[in-house]
Amino acid sequence: MTTTNTNALEVKNVVKYFHDPSTFQVLKGVSFDVKKGEFLSLVGKSGSGKSTLLYILSTMDTDYEGSLIVNGNLLTGQTQNQLSIFRNEHIGFVFQFHYLLPEFSALENVMLPAKKLGKLSFEEIEHKAYESLRLLDLEEQALKGANKLSGGQQQRVAIARALINSPSIIMGDEPTGNLDSKNSMAVQDIFRNLAHEFGQTIICVTHDNDFAQRTDRTIEMTDGLILSH
Amino acid sequence: MAQKRKNNVNRQIASVHLTSKIGQTVVAILGVTFGVSMYIFMNSFMNGVNKAQDDLAFSNLSHIRIDNENEKNDYNPVQDVFSLGTVFNIRNKKDIQSETDIKNTHQVMAILKAQPEVKDITSQVNFSVFFRNGSKKINGSISGVEPNNENRMFGSAGKVIAGSWDDLNYMKSGLIIGRILADNLGVKLNDNVNVLTPDGVSKNFSVIGIIETSVKEIDKSRAYINISTAQQLLGKNFDYSTGILVNLYDRDKTTGVVNKTQNSVKYNMETWQEANQQLVAASQLRNIIASAVSLAILLVAGFGIYNIMNMTINEKIREIAILKAMGFSGGDVLTIFLTQATAIGLLGVFSGLILGISISSAVNQVPFKVAGLTTLPIHYQWIDFVSAVIFGILTTLLAGYFPARKASKIDPVIIIRG
Repeated sequence: MTTTNTNALEVKNVVKYFHDPSTFQVLKGVSFDVKKGEFLSLVGKSGSGKSTLLYILSTMDTDYEGSLIVNGNLLTGQTQNQLSIFRNEHIGFVFQFHYLLPEFSALENVMLPAKKLGKLSFEEIEHKAYESLRLLDLEEQALKGANKLSGGQQQRVAIARALINSPSIIMGDEPTGNLDSKNSMAVQDIFRNLAHEFGQTIICVTHDNDFAQRTDRTIEMTDGLILSH
Repeated sequence: MAQKRKNNVNRQIASVHLTSKIGQTVVAILGVTFGVSMYIFMNSFMNGVNKAQDDLAFSNLSHIRIDNENEKNDYNPVQDVFSLGTVFNIRNKKDIQSETDIKNTHQVMAILKAQPEVKDITSQVNFSVFFRNGSKKINGSISGVEPNNENRMFGSAGKVIAGSWDDLNYMKSGLIIGRILADNLGVKLNDNVNVLTPDGVSKNFSVIGIIETSVKEIDKSRAYINISTAQQLLGKNFDYSTGILVNLYDRDKTTGVVNKTQNSVKYNMETWQEANQQLVAASQLRNIIASAVSLAILLVAGFGIYNIMNMTINEKIREIAILKAMGFSGGDVLTIFLTQATAIGLLGVFSGLILGISISSAVNQVPFKVAGLTTLPIHYQWIDFVSAVIFGILTTLLAGYFPARKASKIDPVIIIRG
């Protein structure tokens, strides 16, 4: 029981198959724990199953065997609706391609998850969104349309959006994959800061070895198994 | 409070989707607008046509007609004397004249007047005559009427083009004659006409009015006199009539009134529906055509909306995946797209109602001078507006629901991983 207090995430013996075009075992029994406030990277070659694993951790993919516990809650077997509520409150997600809603301003994009959560008033959400944007040095861009921003700016807006509900875990799928080295460094600094100062757990899939070396811990995967952690 | 804010964010996303591609939204709204406005116009026009035709028909047709049918006489006196089974033969049998008239007119009228559904009631004495003017002799018919009641039922006074209908009340030897009949006889107002009954009674009448109904057959052959003169002419008493005409407040309730009173009235009671089945059939067929055409238009509008919603969802498939990754549920996505469909539906229905009324009133101005009409007929009924609103919203919701459900089932992992 004590482990659930310090572990943000526990993965037990996760097995995953792809059935299309032919049945293929992507994950062959993966188990590991992630501590609270840890900055973790998942590395491995293409097809090693690291992204597949991340989407299972994100609760979006429910078609797997084994179990997933986040903040002491067993998420395996919950319905899509329960999971989307959990995801909204506890998990922030940053994608390789920034994936903002292009018709909304940067500020509105950041505010969306908080409006969905509905725990704060509009003014509080707006204030919080400005804080998140300021943290990422985007205050000037707040009212610009999302499609008017540069790639690096869009990625930082996406991070601000992931932060708005103060989730306990932030997950990134190659969050710096589309950024130049300067912007990449900035994002890494932000993540480390969040992990160490705010106690948020960060899990990032990456190809970038430099990125991986700067994280607290690296899990390396190959052929659906964990090689080292 | 939390629930309310969540709904707001779904609505906000829906409204951004609607306004960002305003052209598409307008096309979708216009589809509903045309569907609803055609529904209103077609139905109002058909109602107008039905109403015009009914008005024409009921200008000389009552809702219920009571008369005495000439019955077949089956009475065989031989059977009263001889036992059953006796063989007999009667050659060239003669039946006595059976009664074709109503003998107790006032009693029957009292029974019907007591019914709350009955609005107006009048009795008539009708019979065939020869109209004679000098050597000119024309076959026709006389209607002995109660002038005030007849006018209340059929608006006869309004059809008199010369003289006055009311004069029938006190001018017992006055006659109001059909326009064509008057022309054919060569008589004018205040001229005399001789009337010869089938029983050989002849009497002179003075023309106190000329009437023009919209039914040519009547104008060609009919004249109206006071009912008491008619009774005298036939040698009958004041309780005699050949038919009683009844109008109800609601002409669709004839069957109920007939069923209630049939036992005490004992005469043949014929409703206008039985007497004029072609009238009922024609208006029902017109209503079916109107509904079919307008529903087809709404259906086409529905497919338009379905297409536009499907396109929108295919364009926004990545955004939907992102919303789901952020924690929006399938239900939220369904709400977002159904909200769009509802907004399109409401705006379309509202503008459709306005356009429908505009088209209808424009058509109502088009001159059309046939059979008592002056312009193309339009008649609004609130039920058409209610069903237009219901059908319009139902179509958009159905057309929006299937694409929205597809969107709600999008698996974000497949979209985001590419």
